[in-house]
Amino acid sequence: MYRVELLNITKSFGGITALKDVTLKIRAGEIHALVGENGAGKSTLMKILSGAHSKDTGRIFIDNSEVQISNTHDSKKLGIGIIYQEFSLVPDLSVAENIFLHQLGGKSLWMRWKSLKRKAESLLNGIGFQIDPAIKVSQLSIAYQQIVEIAKALSEKVNVLILDEPSTVIGPYEIQKLFDTLRRLKDEGVAIIYISHHLSEIFQIADRISVLKDGRSSDSLLVSETDRDSIIKLMLGRSLDTMFPSRSPVIGKEILKAEFLNFRDKVKNVSLSLKAGEILGIAGLVGSGRSETARIIFGAEKMESGKISFFGEQLHEASPYRSYKNGIGMVPEDRKQHGIILSLSVKHNLSLMNLNEISGILGFISSKRESDHAITLIRKLSIKLQDADTEAAKLSGGNQQKVSIAKWLGRNNKVMIIDEPTRGIDIGAKAEIYKLLNELANQGVGIILISSETSELTGICDRILVMRKGQICGELEKKDFSEEDILRLSIGA
Amino acid sequence: MKRTIHFFIEYNTVVIFILMLIVSALVSESFFTSTNLFNLVRQVTPIGIISMGMLLVILTGGIDLSVGSIVAMVGVLCALFTHMMPLPLALIAALGCGLMVGGVSGYLVAYHRMAPFIATLALMSIVRGLGFIFSKGAPVIVAENASALTQFGSGSFFGIPNPAWILLIIFIRVFVMLRYNTFGRLVIAIGSNEEAVRLSGIKVPHYKLGVYVIAGGLSAVAGILLTARTSVGAPVTGIAMELDVIAAVVIGGASLMGGKGSAVNTLLGVLILGMIGNIMNLMTIPAYSQQVIKGLIIIFAVLLQRFQNK
Repeated sequence: MYRVELLNITKSFGGITALKDVTLKIRAGEIHALVGENGAGKSTLMKILSGAHSKDTGRIFIDNSEVQISNTHDSKKLGIGIIYQEFSLVPDLSVAENIFLHQLGGKSLWMRWKSLKRKAESLLNGIGFQIDPAIKVSQLSIAYQQIVEIAKALSEKVNVLILDEPSTVIGPYEIQKLFDTLRRLKDEGVAIIYISHHLSEIFQIADRISVLKDGRSSDSLLVSETDRDSIIKLMLGRSLDTMFPSRSPVIGKEILKAEFLNFRDKVKNVSLSLKAGEILGIAGLVGSGRSETARIIFGAEKMESGKISFFGEQLHEASPYRSYKNGIGMVPEDRKQHGIILSLSVKHNLSLMNLNEISGILGFISSKRESDHAITLIRKLSIKLQDADTEAAKLSGGNQQKVSIAKWLGRNNKVMIIDEPTRGIDIGAKAEIYKLLNELANQGVGIILISSETSELTGICDRILVMRKGQICGELEKKDFSEEDILRLSIGA
Repeated sequence: MKRTIHFFIEYNTVVIFILMLIVSALVSESFFTSTNLFNLVRQVTPIGIISMGMLLVILTGGIDLSVGSIVAMVGVLCALFTHMMPLPLALIAALGCGLMVGGVSGYLVAYHRMAPFIATLALMSIVRGLGFIFSKGAPVIVAENASALTQFGSGSFFGIPNPAWILLIIFIRVFVMLRYNTFGRLVIAIGSNEEAVRLSGIKVPHYKLGVYVIAGGLSAVAGILLTARTSVGAPVTGIAMELDVIAAVVIGGASLMGGKGSAVNTLLGVLILGMIGNIMNLMTIPAYSQQVIKGLIIIFAVLLQRFQNK
């Protein structure tokens, strides 16, 4: 008997398809692992089940009867508990208050402190942890906050429990205790969905595995009948091979060198070197320190220690302004928040960093020069829009990304750092961006490309670094590129 | 249909302004008399001048609560300086004091990341106090030999009060700045998405400091003109004036979150606010009720904008 059936679920966000015809069935009393690359749609699917997102089409059955889940309240009533990647705890409240937050409102005017504490304590003991229920959540370590989050989900009767990457922040000892709890719940008949990148955990705890790839689902496999390599092959899939331009790189002298960069535990002793005309890929999971490394080199984040040299000269006090003056550009990971200004026109976005070039005395902007500048870039990247005065918010994700890249192209950059340029954009725009990266490199620009799509890195890069937990854990030359190796290195399998 | 809606979103302040004109003409015969209009223009001038600076600050997502205190302190200092130095120097020194106060607020906000509300609240208190200290608590009369100042302040040119011409010049400058100058472009960009502007390699603090300096300078201009008109610098002028200025900018459709607002609409906002007071005076509505009605009209105007934005 299936406890949960998600049938033919489709979901898109503003023209970008996140899930396409996804089907997932979970039995009662089963631990079902859900795996896939970043952006494959795992979290979106779980948010649909928990009511945080609404599906476009498809049907959901719980215990063989169809249900409508349009908000988180609905899912709670159905006994669906979810433990998110991002914490939903209130830092200034106590552990006990957080665990029973949903029950605090309404029922009684007064807080029953004693019974609240007792209940919290027994719940925490039940899952094998000793945490003082009176302590503020903000005083707990991240690992213990995760435990509180789990206790919170278990404070109500759950029939379905979803865990989204629970192990990223907790240590091996806590994981084993968590697994004990999950096994106990499983014996009680709870259906458990366990999302993780760590295949070793999955093979230890899960009964079945389903793989999501580019918003599509595979059949679910019994853990006992599959192995690590087949899962990795399913996660990678095949589709991008024909999209990449053929690279014949002319690699010059070293232009950028970073040595022993450190930043708040997120980046640990990272060193790298970039040559003119080279496309250097950085692979790794989200949170592996890839983006932070990029932001340090660009000067958006202040490193705690380390040294960055540009054309042999050490850069002091790096800042976005200095990088811009030096000819180091960065296309940020979050294009909507950091890459472009949604409420401004495409023209104004494109001219933002070239205002000196298009303005005359007293900072008067020449509207002709500004339009010419915008039109040149729009043509060069074939950005699709009505006219240059279109608001950037109205463009599709792919075209927004092109604007985010294009605004740097008016400048004579030596280094371009590009963070996740193709996330969530359509195949056509992807191919155009790859072509552009190739052209830039051929002009002698050194490019650092950060991506979660392994096939993209192997398709266009000349060399790839793999990061895990803030450190560089592998370097692959073009002749040794293997998606399996990259994935293995990133997840530490 | 779509065009009409777009028109209303784009020009909602104009619509409210015209509505106010019609209502004013209907409820009082003496509204459209030259004396009344002259008075109205003279009353709104100081708020109008400051609102142009406040608009720039609000466009960056900030706020400046110290403007009323600057008006008072600079008014007092301007009157004091006329006793000590030649008039041109006195004016420059008074203006310089306003720029400096703006510079302190801007420095705290831009380089120390202090919340604009807090930084300028502190400056509001400090500067108000300084105004009282400099004047020893009593109004300061402008020196006799500085009659050029008082003549200018109370005079008019082509039937329009001289200070209003200054407002017009400042308005045009800010209008041009927001539309055609790199400074204005970056102010709007910063208010729309500061982090994106920073990551574009632009020195954001530089521009944030700039808007507070301009707001301080324009408040000083308003203070000087008030002293010029009344021949005295009084430490009690401009109490709660910042609220009227902010109200005018908001009625003009600017967003306190930054990035949205225009010079034309702000000027209309100033006129709308002025007309509300003016028409109630003509109707001899008591002052206490005026305050209530003014507040209600502000709520109504802003709700209307929200409604139209949807």
